[in-house]
Amino acid sequence: MKGTILPEKMIICPEDLILVTGAAGFIGSKLVEILLERGFRNLRCFARPSSNSAKLKSIVQRCGGAARVEIITGNLLSREDCIAAAKDVTLVYHLAAGRGQKMYADAYMNSVVTTRNLIEGCLHHHSLRRFVSISSFSVYSNTGKPGGRLLDESCPVEQHPELRGDAYAFAKVKQDELVAHYRKKFGVPAVIVRPGYVYGPGNEGITGRVGIGTFGIFLHLGGSNRIPLTFVDNCAEAIVLAGLKQGVDGEIFNVVDDDLPSSREFLRLYKRHVRRFPSVYLPHMLSYLLCYLWEKYSQWSEGQLPPVYSRKEWHTAWKPTRYTNEKLKSLLGWMPRVSSREGLCRFFESCKQKGRHA
Amino acid sequence: MLKVAIVGCGKIADSHAAQINRIQGVELVGVCDREELMAKQLHDRFSVKGYFSDLTELIHEAHPDVVHITTPPQSHFEIAKQCLLQGCHVYVEKPFTLDAIEAEKLIQLAEQKALKITVGHDDQFRHAARRMRSLVAGGYLGGSPLHMESYYGYEFGELGYASGLLRDEQHWVRRLPGKLLHNVISHGIARIAEFFTTATPLVISHGFVSPLLRRMGERQLVDEVRVIVSEEERVTAYFTFSSQMRPALHQFRVYGPKNGLVLDQDNETLIKLRGGRYPSYMEQFVPPLNFARQYAGNFLENLRLFLACDFHPKAGMKFLIESFYQSIVKSGPVPIPYREILLTSRIMDTIFEQIDRRALDGSEELDSMPSFTKSPH
Ligand SMILES: NC(=O)c1ccc[n+]([C@@H]2O[C@H](COP(=O)([O-])OP(=O)(O)OC[C@H]3O[C@@H](n4cnc5c(N)ncnc54)[C@H](OP(=O)(O)O)[C@@H]3O)[C@@H](O)[C@H]2O)c1
Repeated sequence: MKGTILPEKMIICPEDLILVTGAAGFIGSKLVEILLERGFRNLRCFARPSSNSAKLKSIVQRCGGAARVEIITGNLLSREDCIAAAKDVTLVYHLAAGRGQKMYADAYMNSVVTTRNLIEGCLHHHSLRRFVSISSFSVYSNTGKPGGRLLDESCPVEQHPELRGDAYAFAKVKQDELVAHYRKKFGVPAVIVRPGYVYGPGNEGITGRVGIGTFGIFLHLGGSNRIPLTFVDNCAEAIVLAGLKQGVDGEIFNVVDDDLPSSREFLRLYKRHVRRFPSVYLPHMLSYLLCYLWEKYSQWSEGQLPPVYSRKEWHTAWKPTRYTNEKLKSLLGWMPRVSSREGLCRFFESCKQKGRHA
Repeated sequence: MLKVAIVGCGKIADSHAAQINRIQGVELVGVCDREELMAKQLHDRFSVKGYFSDLTELIHEAHPDVVHITTPPQSHFEIAKQCLLQGCHVYVEKPFTLDAIEAEKLIQLAEQKALKITVGHDDQFRHAARRMRSLVAGGYLGGSPLHMESYYGYEFGELGYASGLLRDEQHWVRRLPGKLLHNVISHGIARIAEFFTTATPLVISHGFVSPLLRRMGERQLVDEVRVIVSEEERVTAYFTFSSQMRPALHQFRVYGPKNGLVLDQDNETLIKLRGGRYPSYMEQFVPPLNFARQYAGNFLENLRLFLACDFHPKAGMKFLIESFYQSIVKSGPVPIPYREILLTSRIMDTIFEQIDRRALDGSEELDSMPSFTKSPH
């Protein structure tokens, strides 16, 4: 199933130029596929010279048809590249980010400096109608929530991301702050989309929300927690809609699928369908205590152990939490394209394939 | 209170800021990056007084006594020069400069201005490396070193920097005179330079692009290098840089007339190699026990350091920075002699020249190209 928007409710028409950054990435390539499928005929895909664009190229070849799809290479760290990329663009899907980078400087540079350059590039041309910035669930502090265990768009964002010990979360919080600043100060028509954990062929890892592998044993930390998963097709669909729908400037959308599996279910299915490995369940009280001890030791020892586990981290990753996609459905008319059941099947199959080729 | 600033707020700047903040009597007064956002993020995460996007402003407003330069190597010389001219002591990340000529100029300028300068060869100040230095100084080798072997392994990770470098023809590392080698090998070369006395040893190098990289279409990035360094046919050294050899060693072996030492940086161990022999079968039984005892001793020492909270991943950097600051405050000798910094630069220049020449000639002959490092200017 896919979300539908009547053409008169869209802010652009199929011929308008759309820029997708991070287009060669995991979600970006799927997003391009969906845009082409939806009949958008004028796309500019931004990739780095070092990006592996094979998948993107094959999508363009397969779904491009008569569409004009330009793949440009550059680096969003260059202001000139950003100005060139933003020329005549009406809609920007900004997915490029420093993902998987453990160093703060890298994560920050590729998420925040790039976003600033791109927004300024857009301001240079005056053709922009919407800027969709991709954030993440990792920006939420998951404490002091008005709705108790429910995490939704109104929940507070981490105030001190520098204390989290997570370079990616720090960069994402700062990226959101920057987008809000440009929206307020320069009236940039921005929408922020915050996906949960995006899974699917192309991202075969087990999310840390389920647990972590240490010394040959998998520590299962999620237990009965629901895991905020979103299948890559569903996530890309939500991002597409956030760019098209009229009247949602300034909004934030969380993206999670329906029927989320619990961590325990996920792990059981993974072991059954992909591979078996030993795991030990650590109850929440214990994982909280260990995070607390790690945090204190790390502080006391002045970083002899890096501050990667802390109470803040526990709250975002392992605290029992419920999730909702109500706003996504009601404001954007989003419906998952792929059910969780089907998504998990495809994911496990791809994990198995990847294991075979490893 | 010693006032310190950092110029260049990229990856390594984090380690500098963290270690500087651990040192008593020091205040981080400013961080600077041409990209103001980068300076701000470092400022926000560490307790730093101010952030700047202009070096002159940093120097005039924050008045640092010492400036750490953690920018890409292409800018080291100009920034260091400006800092020295403005009366600041300078700590430059490795590689010190683009070549030995720049290195000499900086050192001369520092001396003229009665200021101090050092380079970030912090691996040489990790615990086991310091134990090695004191054993050598205490005469354990039975005389000055005769031969050394320095191994510097490198792993191209699947992600990030390495794959970016491999796929990006315009990557800044490719624009360094020694390309990948320039950015990586100075730690391994500096270990050798420490024990040479001449300023112009003979260098014979052989470098090539590994079959793995060639299969990936790479023609420029030399990732396998073997070097012989020789001082008047008296002291010799081998240097090995390899991206393919496993384990990717970071080892240094030094042999004297009586005994030898093996420093393993990855395992933080130092092993003594006894020159003497045991009678008969004892030679097959006692030394293995002796090695077992030494490894156990290294394990216990590492554990002790960890429990004493002195086993940080950047313990070497903290020690080097602290020693450098001490040399400034107490007007003592710098932790890395200038002779060693210059010799490291000269050996590196010679290696790059020989590898370049070989690439231009297409020559396969190893023996045809030994050359002496250029004499000091
Ligand atoms: N995957 C998830 O679970 C998840 C969850 C929440 C939010 N998100 C967000 O979703 C977005 C897309 O994530 P993804 O999973 O698709 O990640 P991805 O596969 O790593 O894609 C990110 C892309 O950004 C590009 N990029 C990074 N720095 C750049 C720069 N300086 N200039 C130009 N391009 C640059 C990368 O190029 P290279 O290919 O050259 O590296 C990569 O193609 C990101 O903003 C991410 O934070 C992802």
